[in-house]
Amino acid sequence: MDRFEPKIIGFLCNWCSYEGADAAGKSRRKYPANLRVIRVMCSGRIDPQFVMEAFRVGADGVVILGCHPGDCHYKEGNYKALKRYHLLQKTLAQLGIEKERCTLNWIAASEGEKFAEIVKEMVKKVKQLGPIDNSE
Amino acid sequence: MERVGVFICECGPNIKDAIDIQELVGFASRLDNVVMTLPFRIFGSEEGKELIKQKIRENKLTRVVIAACSPKEHEHTFKQVLEEAGLNGHLLQIANIREQCAWVIRDKTLATEKAKVMLKGAVRRVIHHEPLEKKEIECVPDVLVVGAGVAGIGAALTLAQKNRKVYLIERLPSIGGKVARYEDLFPNLECASCVLEPELDEVFHKENIQILTCCEVEEVLGFFGNFTVKIREKARFVDVDACIGCGACFDACPVKVVNEFNEGLDERKAIYIPYPGALPNVAVIDRGGCVRFNGGECNACQLSCPFGAIHYDAVEKIHELKVGAVVLATGFDLFDPKRAPQYGYGKFDNIYTSLEFERITNSDGPTGGKIQLKDGRAPQSVAIIHCVGSRSERHNEYCSGICCMYSLKFAHLLKDKLPEVKISQFYSDLCLPAKDNQRFLSDLFKKGIELVRLKAAESIEITKKEEKLLVTYKGIFGKEEKAAFDMVILSPAVEPTQDATKIARLFDISQDEYGFFAEEHNKLAPVSTSTEGIFIAGCAQGPRDIQSSVAQGQAAAGRILSRLIPGERVELAVTTAKVDEELCGGCRLCMGLCPFKAITFDEEGRHLRINEVLCRGCGVCGATCPSGAIRSKHFTEKQIFEEIRGLL
Repeated sequence: MDRFEPKIIGFLCNWCSYEGADAAGKSRRKYPANLRVIRVMCSGRIDPQFVMEAFRVGADGVVILGCHPGDCHYKEGNYKALKRYHLLQKTLAQLGIEKERCTLNWIAASEGEKFAEIVKEMVKKVKQLGPIDNSE
Repeated sequence: MERVGVFICECGPNIKDAIDIQELVGFASRLDNVVMTLPFRIFGSEEGKELIKQKIRENKLTRVVIAACSPKEHEHTFKQVLEEAGLNGHLLQIANIREQCAWVIRDKTLATEKAKVMLKGAVRRVIHHEPLEKKEIECVPDVLVVGAGVAGIGAALTLAQKNRKVYLIERLPSIGGKVARYEDLFPNLECASCVLEPELDEVFHKENIQILTCCEVEEVLGFFGNFTVKIREKARFVDVDACIGCGACFDACPVKVVNEFNEGLDERKAIYIPYPGALPNVAVIDRGGCVRFNGGECNACQLSCPFGAIHYDAVEKIHELKVGAVVLATGFDLFDPKRAPQYGYGKFDNIYTSLEFERITNSDGPTGGKIQLKDGRAPQSVAIIHCVGSRSERHNEYCSGICCMYSLKFAHLLKDKLPEVKISQFYSDLCLPAKDNQRFLSDLFKKGIELVRLKAAESIEITKKEEKLLVTYKGIFGKEEKAAFDMVILSPAVEPTQDATKIARLFDISQDEYGFFAEEHNKLAPVSTSTEGIFIAGCAQGPRDIQSSVAQGQAAAGRILSRLIPGERVELAVTTAKVDEELCGGCRLCMGLCPFKAITFDEEGRHLRINEVLCRGCGVCGATCPSGAIRSKHFTEKQIFEEIRGLL
């Protein structure tokens, strides 16, 4: 189990959360190497199918990061992401995927520290859960 | 078969020290479709950029991956490099191995492994990129400015130029907004009409500015560069070309009605010009007050007019204006102190709002500029009360920003006209920002006024005691005190206009929690809205003084001038969405979700259509479509799936 290094996919929106991730880099904040980032223009672009595909191909965890409510560059894309996320959690549960494996958070462009913390938390949590069981 | 070139930037020591470059190069060169891999010191340098172009041509590359700093830094630069080498700029993918790899992972092995994974994802994705062309459309360079107050006039004067027309519309019969009603302005106590009149004159006579008064917006269609706005112009019943403003008609009119220009402090006739010198200097009939328009017999004004300018059969006109952008500068209304009974407004005489007092001090006002009580006597003591309806939990929690200054202004004016008058200013905090405003207060102390600090803005009540007004208040130590005054002036909050919501809905812009028009971004976009092409300026956006309102009007004009260039086309967002009409089932789920109203339903074809001009490429529709009929360019399902597969 100590050897298990989870693969975490992150869907980050171009305007706030991707900037926030870059901010962590600019201040040289270290976080686990397990995260692989996919940039989209808005968290509202995130089709639940993307998350399902990520799990299907081998992700042990998925983080969805968008702008804080009220700050979305496209007005309310993040609210749509939130709604979809709740429905997605129900579907994932039916597939036996623990809800801790998929999280949603808001990151502002300046929140490099918060971003790093979220990644650390996620890696720690998924390590405890173990690798995803893709036998189904 | 695509030919992918991978360029790995060492970024000086930044990436080189944290990642094993040679190993990364080896890894990249073994990936499918990669025909060429090259590391370099700094690809962002001139030398580096030339190198990329050279390698693209030499190797006949069809796709490019650059592993370097964040795309938010140099994507634009590298896109340009591709274009210069003959490749479409969108055939590029950047792997962020600096901000999201080298700088955040301590262990070199782990960092190199992550960089490899990122490259794999980038290469797999880029193969499915498609060239995207720059998009431009014809636009109308003309602009509509709604509201002819100082902000609107500031915008109009900045915008008007050869090849661009400005329509300046105003709800009232004359232009100038609130400032036309003021006598003197803070902080220099300069005469308001001396400041305003030349501006009104200039805007009135400037070529390329068409002013339409008695107008309101009825309908707005279209999008940035191509709006169609329907304006309803109410009938004046007076011919603007024939009337010279001689006033013979008002003398003849038998009816008197409340004069709203003087805040109801006196009366005017049913046919009138709001104030001497108003522009346009043309009379207008107030249908509400007029005998004739209420079923009676009267044509006194028509008979008295030496120019035959009065026509009772005049009708409303609808104007359809085609403009490229709009500036909303519709101003503010004052909080009605009747909503706060503690101030006694409307219950007792000699309690005035600031706008009423402005008219009292104005030489064209109801008293000819004489400061007097209702019975005609000059007041010997005046209380000026700040924050009426502002900084209040019950009413408006914000500070209205201008009232401290004009309250001090009133004290200056009172002292100048009635040197013996005793003045007390009741306030809880003083708001005097900007370069020249603090001095205004210190100058006032020399004239001798009393500043009374309240425990809280609302710790004050006004009642009547014998012939005077009794102010009961709690000072900073919480002890209740009383003082009697002849006159009380209230400084009410600046609020959005009554029709703010109607206008916001017409133009599809948001209002903030107080009802003012919402700016697009609090810091970086204070005069634009989230609806492209609609700009806001002045108090319509939030309480502010004249200088700031004019600045915003000019700023909105600046924003428009930089994009709506006569003779040139407007560049549009490229990574927009498109509906595949064959796949579309017409369910319309996407339509309601688009924040920019870019999606419409084609009744004939029974499918949805996305307006490429309005679409900003957020991708929400793409995520929604159950038929997979919507393609979000450059962020297609295929591209993202491939990126996911490459990363895992």
